[in-house]
Amino acid sequence: MMQRRHTLLGVIVLGAWSIALVPGVAHAQSKTDTPDFSGVWGPYRGGRGADPKLAPPPASALALNPEYAKPYEARRAAEAVANSRGEPLANASVACVPYGVPSMMSVAVYPIEIIQTPKQVTIIAEAFSEVRRVYMDKPQVKIDDVPPGYYGRSVGRWEGDTLVIDTVGIKESVQYQRMPHSDQIRISERMRLVAPDVLHDQITITDPVVLEKPYTYTLAYRRMTDYEMVEFVCDNNREYVDDQGIVRLRVREK
Amino acid sequence: MIAAPRSRTCALAILVAAILANAGPGMAHHSFAMFDQTKQITLTGTVTVFEWTNPHAYIEIDVPDEKGTVKHWSVELGSPSILMQSGWKFKDLKHGDKVTVRISPLKDGRPGGLLVQATLPDGRVLGNGPGRGPAQPTTGAPNQ
Repeated sequence: MMQRRHTLLGVIVLGAWSIALVPGVAHAQSKTDTPDFSGVWGPYRGGRGADPKLAPPPASALALNPEYAKPYEARRAAEAVANSRGEPLANASVACVPYGVPSMMSVAVYPIEIIQTPKQVTIIAEAFSEVRRVYMDKPQVKIDDVPPGYYGRSVGRWEGDTLVIDTVGIKESVQYQRMPHSDQIRISERMRLVAPDVLHDQITITDPVVLEKPYTYTLAYRRMTDYEMVEFVCDNNREYVDDQGIVRLRVREK
Repeated sequence: MIAAPRSRTCALAILVAAILANAGPGMAHHSFAMFDQTKQITLTGTVTVFEWTNPHAYIEIDVPDEKGTVKHWSVELGSPSILMQSGWKFKDLKHGDKVTVRISPLKDGRPGGLLVQATLPDGRVLGNGPGRGPAQPTTGAPNQ
């Protein structure tokens, strides 16, 4: 009797131990009916002979409410004049702060890395080592319940082959292409493979306060097999803003 | 040695300007408007330090003029990730190396500029990232 009890206990312990050894296995694999976006993705540029269907469609027209359109256009005009003088006006990039959502999804030629599990999709941008987490199959909370930040709160779900992401809680200083927005901004994304190694992310920004109608643009990525992400810590930022509000480059005397 | 500035706008400068002008939906780290990309000057000097850093790498060089008077220049490059895509490695330059760089100078006249291309001590000529100058990728370049 005692021996049987020991054997039973041993089986239970061994069973629990073996489950503990492989905790990630059950979660690391995606459902078989959903595509796997895991991997590194660089900007897709098409190029000669490329299938035009893989190119992202053009962005929609930006429709700001009139009270926001005027200062936005004035700022753009002032920036153009300042740039032509070689005296760019200060903006957030001077301080080397991250871009946040949605800008971090496409920074120059830097890739992003996607780590996909059933419960969470994690997106890491090489530029500035930015990280966003998309909680799968969780309800979104009210906008006012999310402390405004760079990444807000993202939830996702699969609609067939499309990963649909909803993000709220982006603070007003975190702007895409310096577009103004209110604390009511909502960012919806639809990520889908348009070819085995080409991924599209259709990004729609809605903001009932600032935008007359939603603004939509699409990013295209190509799979970068075996690419190892390069670290990016902004520890040698030589730009500064002078007392005229102009961005300068610090040069060294020797 | 400082070569005479090229006054004409060359096709390469236009290409660089177009790539750096933040066309399309992506973000660039900063405006490159502080550099005069219609001009290029060539500097030959001695590397004091090669900083393989973010958001940009820098080559610091001492450049003697015809009379031997040394002037120091700061040359901005892309980031390490972008440079690796055009064949650069973090050990490609070190203190004391002789290097020739072609740069677009700062518009405010201070001794600094944006790299167009560099001729390394071993003779390799490297640009400033993919599509920026005469890239000669080596086997160390990431997959494309």
